[in-house]
Amino acid sequence: MNNYFVLDSLNILFLIALVVVTVCVMFYQGFNYCKNAKENLKYYSIFFLFFLSMVGALLSNHLGLTWVFVEATTLTSAYLIMLHKSKNSLEATWKYVFLCSIGISLAFVGIILLLIGSGSVNSLFYNDLYANAAAINPFWLKLSFIFILIGFGTKAGFAPVHSWLPDAHAEAPSPVSAMLSATLLNSAVLVILRLVKLMSLAGLGHTVQVLMLTMGLLSIFITAVYVYRIKNYKRMLAYSSVENMGIISIGIALGSLGTIGALIHVLCHSLIKSSLFLTSGNILHLYNTKEVDEVKDLVSKNKCTSWLWLLGAMLILAIPPSPLFLSEFLIIKQFLLNGQVVLCVVTVLLLTIILFGIMNTVLKMNYTTNNNETEPVKLPISNYIPQIFLIATAIVLGIYMPNGLFELIKNAGGIIW
Amino acid sequence: MINLLIVIFGISMLYMATSSRIAAQTNMLRLQGIILCFITIISHIHELDTSSIWAAITSLFTHIDTLVGAAFLIVETFVVKALIIPNVLDRVAEKSNIKRDNNPQFPNFYTLVISTIILFAGFMIASSQADILQNISSLYFGVSVSTIITAFVFIAIKKKLLTHVIGFAMLENGIFLLSLSIAKEMPLIVNLGVLLDVFIAVFILGLLIGEIGNIYGNPDVSQLCNLKDSEMAKDE
Repeated sequence: MNNYFVLDSLNILFLIALVVVTVCVMFYQGFNYCKNAKENLKYYSIFFLFFLSMVGALLSNHLGLTWVFVEATTLTSAYLIMLHKSKNSLEATWKYVFLCSIGISLAFVGIILLLIGSGSVNSLFYNDLYANAAAINPFWLKLSFIFILIGFGTKAGFAPVHSWLPDAHAEAPSPVSAMLSATLLNSAVLVILRLVKLMSLAGLGHTVQVLMLTMGLLSIFITAVYVYRIKNYKRMLAYSSVENMGIISIGIALGSLGTIGALIHVLCHSLIKSSLFLTSGNILHLYNTKEVDEVKDLVSKNKCTSWLWLLGAMLILAIPPSPLFLSEFLIIKQFLLNGQVVLCVVTVLLLTIILFGIMNTVLKMNYTTNNNETEPVKLPISNYIPQIFLIATAIVLGIYMPNGLFELIKNAGGIIW
Repeated sequence: MINLLIVIFGISMLYMATSSRIAAQTNMLRLQGIILCFITIISHIHELDTSSIWAAITSLFTHIDTLVGAAFLIVETFVVKALIIPNVLDRVAEKSNIKRDNNPQFPNFYTLVISTIILFAGFMIASSQADILQNISSLYFGVSVSTIITAFVFIAIKKKLLTHVIGFAMLENGIFLLSLSIAKEMPLIVNLGVLLDVFIAVFILGLLIGEIGNIYGNPDVSQLCNLKDSEMAKDE
């Protein structure tokens, strides 16, 4: 008898990231985020349902059940994105819901194709699928993996199907953006990881590598192209999420060290990106605009926010002591071990371009001087503490990774390939 | 009998792709819903032992648990696919006063040609590869896959939000047909497909079109283009 929910060393990593980020986001937004009690009740209950559906998606041991929970995350987060009901947020929500529902339908087609191919297995429990991986018809398995990769990849923000992501992340309220970027994308990545395992057991690892390497490189390329033209700092962070999902995808494709790198990347990207989105909420509060050009002299307007912004940006761009430096280092090492030197050079070049683009914007926002004197503005202390905690945790992980955690990540990497 | 229904389903899909009137499209959705409902009923009748009335009645009782599931499925298919979705779409069209989706990206005649080619290709591929399809009727597979692809074409060439939703409903019908083809082995999957319908019925239709309609008036995709990556694009 199979259990519908299991905990293994793979999903516990994702669960840790989810819980830490959610606690910090709750600390940031407090219990009084909306204007009146009625709206507060609605907002927090839906926020909680969103959290629960992600927990469900992470823990479930059944492909169909996972699909249901991922669909539930779309439903609940859509309301959170259109919280303000402005023109832009409605447009973003529409794109989000429409693209993600088409994605989720494609994933459903993928599940049906998998069932057609699995013939007598007749079960969607991951253990049953893994145990009978060799019996599944490889033609149908490949076809279904492509559909599932596109379907859940839409949710995860992989490149050719990422286009909802910048809009939704930019228009959602900042705590919600933090949750979307740091936790929602991960829960879709986990489903893809489970399927990668199935493919590798069925001896189709090569297909996975080609597909995920292409998607990952494309994600990084698209970010590198757009990162200069961006005038909206929340969109910049959203594109950075696309980039990091691309790196994770590449890491998964490369296998062994690359996969370990990808898992470290998943965990630490969540910590750093959520802190950046929360800080962007502070900036939005201080300046009332999302335009980069109108944010000037952040360092004298609010010193703490500007430092958090700078530190977060440095960490997300994998400048040491960032843990992302560690993960990208592992991924590049695996690239070289696999002998894919050209792809490795291209990746590193694109990452450098992104580093320059984002750092340029961040420094401009922090240090461009205003003509007239900037009045310092104070913010409540709860607007700093979550980010300080997240950034400190990330730096500690970058300098000293506890043995227990590293063992966990190694086990999880062993589960996949 | 099922084959006839599936052929009618395919034809209704062609008609939907070419028509520009909203009313015709929602009527075709209604027809497709009814066809899917009938296919569900017929495939469940096949499971019963119909050699004599007595045998039929006893097999009714021995299969009671699957029958409850089947009854739920049939009622659900009819209510959601044939009643709720088309009616809500009709009401939205009436409220925002949309009769047609004029000026699609290219003329309807070409759409007819494209969707016919897709349907033909679906048939050809499915029947030529019958050995890969194992236990699935190639007609099921051909029609459902070509419906899914035509729905994508439909979404890509139409301009109104409402017609995008109609295209999405069409996509759902294609997927539902595909899931019916493996319903015998895995009834769970059909129920999941039903969930997907409830999802669009309740959420996209009710909530979003309503909200967008309140703010934008007559929803049209070309109006939803405020969010862009650069200022340059806005200035042009």
